[in-house]
Amino acid sequence: MLVFAISDKGGTGRSVTGTNIAYRHALQGNDVCYLDFDFGSPTAGAIFSVGSVARGTRESGLHEYLRGDCPQPRRVDVWAESDREGLRTRPPGAGRLVLLPGSEGGGELSALSEEVVGRCVQLFGRLEEEFDLCMVDVSAGRSFTAELVLAATVRMPAVPFRWLVFHRWTRQHIIAADGLVTGTDGLFDVGTRFGHDPEVLRDRIRFVRTAVLEPDAAELVGLRDEQRAWLSACDSELRELAGRHGVGRTTMLGKVPLDPVLQWREQLITDEDVLASKIANVETAAAFDDLAKKIVDDNAWEGL
Amino acid sequence: MRLQPRQQLLELWEAAARTSYRDGVWTWGGRDGSNSISDAEQLLCFMYPASELPGFRLDTPNETGDDVLAALTVLGDSVEIPKLLLKVIGQYLRTYTAEDGRPIFSGGSYFRTQEDDAKVTPEQLQLDVVDSFSMSVTLALGTLGFLKVFRQSVRRQSIRTEIRELEDLAGKRLSAAMAGLLRSFTVNAFDPASPAGRALLRTVNQTGAPTRRVLDDLRRELRPVRAGLRDLTIGSGSQADLDNENLLFECGWTWGIVKDAPAVATPLDIGPQPEGVAADTPFLYFTVNALVGIADLFSPRTRVLSLLNDDQITLAEAIQRRWDLTQLYWRTIATYGRGTWPLEDIPWRTVDEKESDYYSLGVTAMVVQSLVNNRSADVDLDRVGAVLEELAIRARIIRRAVPGDPPVLMHSPGVPVNLHGSDMLGPHLLWMVSDFAITLLKRTIWAASIAQNTRMRERLLTLADQIWRHILQRRHTAGPAAGLWDQPGNVFTDIPVRDEEPSWYFSERVAEFLVAAATASGEPPLRSPQLVELAYQMLGEAEHLLDQEMVTRPLVAGQTIQPKLRTIQSALQRARTIISDRPATAQALINDALLDLERLAAARDSASEAI
Repeated sequence: MLVFAISDKGGTGRSVTGTNIAYRHALQGNDVCYLDFDFGSPTAGAIFSVGSVARGTRESGLHEYLRGDCPQPRRVDVWAESDREGLRTRPPGAGRLVLLPGSEGGGELSALSEEVVGRCVQLFGRLEEEFDLCMVDVSAGRSFTAELVLAATVRMPAVPFRWLVFHRWTRQHIIAADGLVTGTDGLFDVGTRFGHDPEVLRDRIRFVRTAVLEPDAAELVGLRDEQRAWLSACDSELRELAGRHGVGRTTMLGKVPLDPVLQWREQLITDEDVLASKIANVETAAAFDDLAKKIVDDNAWEGL
Repeated sequence: MRLQPRQQLLELWEAAARTSYRDGVWTWGGRDGSNSISDAEQLLCFMYPASELPGFRLDTPNETGDDVLAALTVLGDSVEIPKLLLKVIGQYLRTYTAEDGRPIFSGGSYFRTQEDDAKVTPEQLQLDVVDSFSMSVTLALGTLGFLKVFRQSVRRQSIRTEIRELEDLAGKRLSAAMAGLLRSFTVNAFDPASPAGRALLRTVNQTGAPTRRVLDDLRRELRPVRAGLRDLTIGSGSQADLDNENLLFECGWTWGIVKDAPAVATPLDIGPQPEGVAADTPFLYFTVNALVGIADLFSPRTRVLSLLNDDQITLAEAIQRRWDLTQLYWRTIATYGRGTWPLEDIPWRTVDEKESDYYSLGVTAMVVQSLVNNRSADVDLDRVGAVLEELAIRARIIRRAVPGDPPVLMHSPGVPVNLHGSDMLGPHLLWMVSDFAITLLKRTIWAASIAQNTRMRERLLTLADQIWRHILQRRHTAGPAAGLWDQPGNVFTDIPVRDEEPSWYFSERVAEFLVAAATASGEPPLRSPQLVELAYQMLGEAEHLLDQEMVTRPLVAGQTIQPKLRTIQSALQRARTIISDRPATAQALINDALLDLERLAAARDSASEAI
């Protein structure tokens, strides 16, 4: 299964949520690989706490591979190479967790050529056979990278793929997330141009809300009553707006609550963070866990 | 007030979901088994609030409230719930459709026999009952509205096909229920000298006036009703001899399809119309019950969503005329005369010379409904309120019962209604009616919602609160029906506490009541013109003082008084905005502002006191 993570705007929490989902999915016993296709700023290594590839790798990054400068992209086994104590040993029962970092200083793709698409198809095909889940971090907004994976997936009809669109729970983000999917040069538009069936594509796209502040969250305890009343009115307004833009509950796969840890540092939230040091909220880890399950659960993707 | 409709409704939903959906399977039937009425009641526990209250809608998954989802979590998430509802509504509609395509409205397991050892025959089990017509009208309209809105969120072809099929089935059931209601309406004409005539005259004649005069007067009062009934064309009830002005009459619904009722001619596909056996005389209970369901046919929601097609509108109009006439008839009888109303002479005596508090409740229910529709004066409401109070006392709802108290039997097992005519097909059937408390409560809250005067409303709400406390105690606290009704043993020591399945009959009526209460609390508060007037006068003074303050204060940079004045100014602006809707709130704002202004003035005064 290929899962593409995209977001409407930068700073949405796409990478940090995507890596956490991949991590949780591996903990659930599946072999997972994470491809950092965010060529402009390949920082997945930092989130996995692999110091050597914190800002991409010097050699054999995904960039070089796609350009044809190296035969195979470099693989990093997170369980072996992470600098974080808690990640260094593979938990019993967990599957493999492999990172394919981007190239340091690589820069965004500037054009889409036949050879690049071909190499991408080869890479996906190989990884799909080897891993249960390949999470591909496509950068924010409309990009050549997004076009590349749309072009690649249309050539691999046998390989199942899904898209996750990350957005924050605000007016502008809701509108932008809808635009990214249905607008001009959005996923449907480009996908249809490359030969995807729009109806099928629609069934394979789900939204994930990030940094959601629930009106009944613990963080809001300190708020004044007036602020809370206002917030809850805003929330129902946003809900109505989201429904109108097709970003409502029926097309949502899950939501990740606002968490102080993720606000200050982009990192994996381990069970130690939740249970031992208690720096992260239980709800956040539960949300990642839930998403990691739903991502392969066909019932969650059935929709209406 | 202890009544919190939203909270209580969510609790009811949670309990109903838990009881209905066990181990991933929908379970039909409660205490009295599964039949076309009980199953409709079970579905309506969900569908009625969902279609009547915006905060409880299930048809727009994107907007379903979080607390609503939390209550229904047993049934699944916001997407699974409407899908499950589709499934069970489909089950219901298909189960109660005969092989020849005729929708079934049978009373089934709700039928009882007069003799304990007698057995209801299979033919009797199939008899259509007015209760089922009435419930089906409400359920079909709720379903049609639900499907209409839900369809907009659905893209999947298979679900869309199912929605279309259910729309056909529900539409058909609605048409058939309306035809059934038209064929169970009855007008019973009788001679004033007959026992029935004498009973009616005794009921209306509360002042001991000469019978001759009462009779003439009553004929005159009932003339509009008589004229209307004479013009009825389709359905039953048009055969009665109303041209003979000498005869007295009563009108309403019998318990099922009237014996020898003509078929309703309609282009709608409703399958073959069954023969009836019911006696051709109105029953108070079934009349009240029919009126409740019928009201949904011409509710604003039905019109706005245009849930009826043209042929159905024709039937609905025919029913509405009977609705109007029946209400007018019973209101005329119940409030006849200048002295004591017949309604106030509790218990009510029917023309077949039976007396019961339950009949008083039935007539009161119709009078309240008629008052609600006509937005009546508080004078009438005051007297009805007294009757409601008296009934609550007599039925031991707001008074304790002593051992062996007869009124307790009215709550459990209930009041038996003889289904005359049913003996044609087997033993004589009975219908057990045990909704006294909840019907009384529903009418009380209705009456409260139209009261224009604060004291009146307060009195009715207090009564409603007391009755609600009684009903809340009758909720099951344990067992499979925990959180649902009805466990009268909790209140009445004569009745043993039993651990059993819920009574959907009672629970659905509680849901209906809570919806009515929630609707009432959504309306703007009562406000008197005097209060608005006073608020305006206060606002005038405050604004004037503020203007003075603005003029006398020299504007100095860095002075902290200015923000204070700005706060006062915005408070007064807000007060002006809300003054006609919420005069008391506006006054509170103005009071605050006045106090602030006064402190400034007092400070200035003390400064000028220096010699």
